[in-house]
Amino acid sequence: MREIVALATAVAVVTIVASLGDGETAALLRHLYFVPVVAAALRFGVVVGVLTAATTALLQAPAVFVAIERDGLTRPAAEHLVTFLVLLCAGALVGRLASYAKAQRRRLETLLAVQRALAEEAPLEIALGRLRACLAARLDVDAVGVVMRHDDRLAVAGGGPVVAGSLAAHVLATGTPQFVPDLGGHARPRRAFVAPLLVGGEPIGVLAVEREGEIAPSERSALATLAAHCGLALENARLASRQRRFAEELAERIASATATKSTFVAVASHELRTPLTALLGFSELLVHRRFDGPEVRRMADVIHRETERLVRIVDDFLDLSRIERGLELRISPARVEVATAVAAAVEVFRRAGSHRVIVECADALPAIDADADALDRILKNLVSNAIKYSPAGSAVHVAARARDGVAVEFSVHDTGRGIPAEALPRVFEPYYRAPGVGSARGAGLGLAVVKSLVDAHGGTIELESAPDQGTRVTFVLPAVS
Amino acid sequence: MWTLEQPWAPRRNRVLAETPFTLIATLGASWLTVAWLVSIGWLPSGALWIAALTATHGGLLAVALAWGIADGGVRLPPRAALVPIVLIGAGATAATLDERAAIALMAAPAWLAILAYRGQLVGLGLGSGIPLRPLVVGGAIGALLGGHLLFSASQTLGYPLRGGGWPPLLVLWAYDVGARVISAECFFRGALFNRLQRRWSFGAAAALATALAVARSLVDPLMPGQVEAMVGALFYLTILGAANCWLLWWSGSLVPGLLASALFFFAYRALAIG
Repeated sequence: MREIVALATAVAVVTIVASLGDGETAALLRHLYFVPVVAAALRFGVVVGVLTAATTALLQAPAVFVAIERDGLTRPAAEHLVTFLVLLCAGALVGRLASYAKAQRRRLETLLAVQRALAEEAPLEIALGRLRACLAARLDVDAVGVVMRHDDRLAVAGGGPVVAGSLAAHVLATGTPQFVPDLGGHARPRRAFVAPLLVGGEPIGVLAVEREGEIAPSERSALATLAAHCGLALENARLASRQRRFAEELAERIASATATKSTFVAVASHELRTPLTALLGFSELLVHRRFDGPEVRRMADVIHRETERLVRIVDDFLDLSRIERGLELRISPARVEVATAVAAAVEVFRRAGSHRVIVECADALPAIDADADALDRILKNLVSNAIKYSPAGSAVHVAARARDGVAVEFSVHDTGRGIPAEALPRVFEPYYRAPGVGSARGAGLGLAVVKSLVDAHGGTIELESAPDQGTRVTFVLPAVS
Repeated sequence: MWTLEQPWAPRRNRVLAETPFTLIATLGASWLTVAWLVSIGWLPSGALWIAALTATHGGLLAVALAWGIADGGVRLPPRAALVPIVLIGAGATAATLDERAAIALMAAPAWLAILAYRGQLVGLGLGSGIPLRPLVVGGAIGALLGGHLLFSASQTLGYPLRGGGWPPLLVLWAYDVGARVISAECFFRGALFNRLQRRWSFGAAAALATALAVARSLVDPLMPGQVEAMVGALFYLTILGAANCWLLWWSGSLVPGLLASALFFFAYRALAIG
């Protein structure tokens, strides 16, 4: 307001001074109008610059026209008219240049503000909100909205959800900016412009503005460019955020894997140490002391059992190593008689005598196409687990029955402590040990190896369990065709 | 936000939608008929002035009403468009019989004021309250242009102020406000410019609306006959028209423009022109 008053005062002063002078002096003094005209154009732009020039012309018009009426178009009168014309041109040109420079400065400032708003890492909704607030503060519009595709939904800042068939949805689908000169329902025309946020030529969102007033073509072009910048900035922010999340996830996984490996090394050492201790102890006794026949046989039997266990553990490690390297387990399928294989596998546990191992093989079972050693390991692992997690003296059922004549279904069922429901999805993972296993021995490899062996045969395996109601593991292997 | 939350479809309706072409044709035919009857001496010459005034200003107001009603989404019976024609015709007839009865031309703006008060002329920028600041600016523009006209016309062309006191001045002014100003503002600004500015830029809409308004003024029988006066009138009417477009664009109301025009024409009538 103060500037307007200063301009009006300057125009009035020049008018008064010019009207006081005689012809030539007045003509000279009229050039002083350049000061308020150029000042107005520089400060307020083209419209006010031209208006100020027009005001000076209107103020001088009566004097000039009177002179023209009286004396005709004399040289001083022509000079007078030229002065008006030059003032108008000066107001328009200087104003246009000033407006252009201001617009460019505003655009650069806005771009900088957008970069700053998105520099700090934040979830997408917050980043969009910051971007919207930044644009609302700088664009001089009545409403600003920013929409961005995020996975399979649209994140919105500055409005409600994007409805199908809306202008924003249309621009998002076509990737073409759209201008609507009037939205209707307002005393003044409310114009809208929606520009796509482009990344690699593809629309990833939209920038929407609404204004009760003009949105000139040059401004629309600037908004489209700004939207493209916003798209890139948002995409960069999104990628940075994703990278950070990925890095965090990776760090968590590495930490978890390191912890699992440490646990595994501890458990595996313990697992290996137990049979080795037995082997060392009994072999030392046999070397240094003399025993009678039955006692030697008993010790040899213990040494044999522990050696078998050691072999099983080492085999499990080797298989696990292949699984983790993404290699298939090596099997050599051949014709295997089911009843014989089951009886051989459980024999060692029967002889141990800690549990009742009950075998229930159906009559006339078809032979299966399997690796006999692998089947033996599968059954021994499952029976060993059943015994490990069942009270001494309880029964462990090992059953086999034909399934549709094309496969044989094996099951190992115990009545032990069972597995909690939350642990069931992970029981086949390597190194995983269900909570509450207590002091039971094991490295968490058995079921993982069993599953890999069954998979290698093209079979399937399932596990059903409930706390204190036992566990049933069922696997199916193909019969000989 | 509308662009996100409302369904959108490209605008299909034309600029001339809802124009009462039949009424315009009837008015034109009536005007020609009266002109013919006057030429063969069956009607007095004053009838031609009445017919011209009624057809021109009544027609402009009727079209403005039809557009304004359609654009504002209000419901008025179709015969409402006939009312301004009847009122202006009656006023013009009264003014022909007695100059002082020209005050009857104020019936049309009074009737429009009632409609505006009822909120039925929102589409023309009338009736949604009167914004004070634009009203002051409109008054200032009218006073400035009128004052400049008084000063420059008396200085350059030597026109004196109209004598005879207030009554003849008010009678002429009643014609301006009751017919010329109200029809020009309602049609060229409230209806035409309002429609155009919702399709084009402000500059394009204001340029066309102002050009058409000035062109209409050129054929006004009450325009001064002298070339220099006509040039001056066109100069002022162009500035006034553009300013009124801006006032409507800025404020959303037609009232500031009406005030500017009324003040300017008061100054115009204060000069002894024509």
